[in-house]
Amino acid sequence: MKGRKLLIGFIGVTQEAIGVLTIVFCYVLYYNLFDVLNWLNIAAEHVALYVLILSVFGFVFIISGFFLIRELLE
Amino acid sequence: MKKLEEKRKVGLFQAVMIGLGGAIGIEIFVLLNYATYLAGSTIVFALLVCGVINLLTMLSFSELGAAIPEVGGEYSYAKAALGGFLAFLTGWFRWISNVFGAALAALGFAYNILFFIQVDIPLLTPLIASIIIIVITVLSVRGVGQIGPVIVIAFIAFFILLIVGGFLHGLEFSFSYPSTFAGASGVFATVAYTFTMFLGMRAIAAGGPEIKDPGKNIPRAVMISAVVLIVLYCGIAYVTVSVLPLDKIEGSYTPLTLAAEQIFGEAGAIILTVAAIVAALSSLSTAIMVQSSIVRGLSRDGYLPKFFLSTHSRFKTPHITIIFGSIFYILFAATGVVEVIGYVAGFASILGFALVNLALIRLRTKSPYLKRPFKIPLYPYIPIAGFIISISLLFFIERSALLLGLIFILLGVLTYHLRMIGYQRIRIAFGGMSLGIGGFMALFAYLLATGYLLPISVPSQFSTTVSYGFIVICAINILAGVLNVTAKSER
Repeated sequence: MKGRKLLIGFIGVTQEAIGVLTIVFCYVLYYNLFDVLNWLNIAAEHVALYVLILSVFGFVFIISGFFLIRELLE
Repeated sequence: MKKLEEKRKVGLFQAVMIGLGGAIGIEIFVLLNYATYLAGSTIVFALLVCGVINLLTMLSFSELGAAIPEVGGEYSYAKAALGGFLAFLTGWFRWISNVFGAALAALGFAYNILFFIQVDIPLLTPLIASIIIIVITVLSVRGVGQIGPVIVIAFIAFFILLIVGGFLHGLEFSFSYPSTFAGASGVFATVAYTFTMFLGMRAIAAGGPEIKDPGKNIPRAVMISAVVLIVLYCGIAYVTVSVLPLDKIEGSYTPLTLAAEQIFGEAGAIILTVAAIVAALSSLSTAIMVQSSIVRGLSRDGYLPKFFLSTHSRFKTPHITIIFGSIFYILFAATGVVEVIGYVAGFASILGFALVNLALIRLRTKSPYLKRPFKIPLYPYIPIAGFIISISLLFFIERSALLLGLIFILLGVLTYHLRMIGYQRIRIAFGGMSLGIGGFMALFAYLLATGYLLPISVPSQFSTTVSYGFIVICAINILAGVLNVTAKSER
């Protein structure tokens, strides 16, 4: 039981962090900060699609991580 | 029933004071500039129309308030008449309206306090106002509270003084319009924008159970309050557009102060600014407490999580709901955009009003024998007209505000359905999504490493590192998915 708690804590916090970073990356991509579009060779017309996919993924990560952290805190 | 009759202590004068106290707030001080931008001199006519439209729904409020003597206002009426999703939506609209109303009040405080102190950081003043109010409301259940009868009379006196002073000063009214004036649609856009100026009159309906002889006094109080407000607001708008050029009103968030300065000099400006600050603090405190009680009501009925019901162990105040709502309104106040905030507050109130009219019609058919101390005249025409006009006003709301309002509604709909589905099912669903995304990431890492069929690429020296990064993310997601799916049910 303690092992599960530890695992839940680690995975939950990591997933939450990945989710937040994904959302931040969406922002970077959308505004082409640090010339990221050129660096990743992404066409400007595909940006909206990437932002959409990444934001959905980001929110799923955040919510899924939230469930794990909530279980840890109970 | 005898007990209820004994509770009835509020006479006609006090009922009128309740209505005026609920309605007179920061709105008249801050909304006038953009309203003038939309309607020019026809703002006087727009305020008249707005007052009459509000009056129609206030009559519905009055019937429901007298028939359903419960705390909660429109949410309680919708719960009794419509139930379920529509009741939740009514409460949700009122919450949105109060959160944006609080943001408007914080901004009103900020723009008026600048008259006395010069702050170079524009976002600092709404933040200071918010912190003061949050501390007051968390520490004290009542907070600053709704303005009392003495202050109501003082406000009315200020407004009358401004109007009479304006006339004595010599007004030069002429029909002038901004270059962007859109005719009738501009007037209706102004009606939608200034909608929140009158809606505090619903406090009469909330006080319905305590009003003596409600069958006579409620409609009289509503009518008197509406007429007083229409005369005062139209008078103020008339004087303001007469003593100031349109571009000066449009360019200032404190147009009444400018008008008072023009008429009475420096002293007039100081008095009006102090009045605006008092109105802002009162509106802010009331909006925070009302949004808090709505969230608690929704939580009590199972629409929102139960932790919203907790109170502070020492001060016994609903600190969680106060802080929850405050986060939203501080964020919106920080934008400093009065126009969008005013519109969204109006948007949510208009939708709430439409549902109140619907609730009245439904309750008349559902519970025809319910004791109604006051019955709306010309039924069903008045509630039907109230419903149709309210919905029609939505078409005149600015698009960005409409979008923001719709996002909030979507958030509400999502919250409602998630609560209805149940926590465990949602958790399993998100676990499944995590598993799916984990699998997708594994495939993506493989394709990225091998350079197959992808419209993106990373510089070759980073491709291995990025691929390993994706594998780690993939493993985390798959594990998170498994842990969420295999979690034991709590209930």
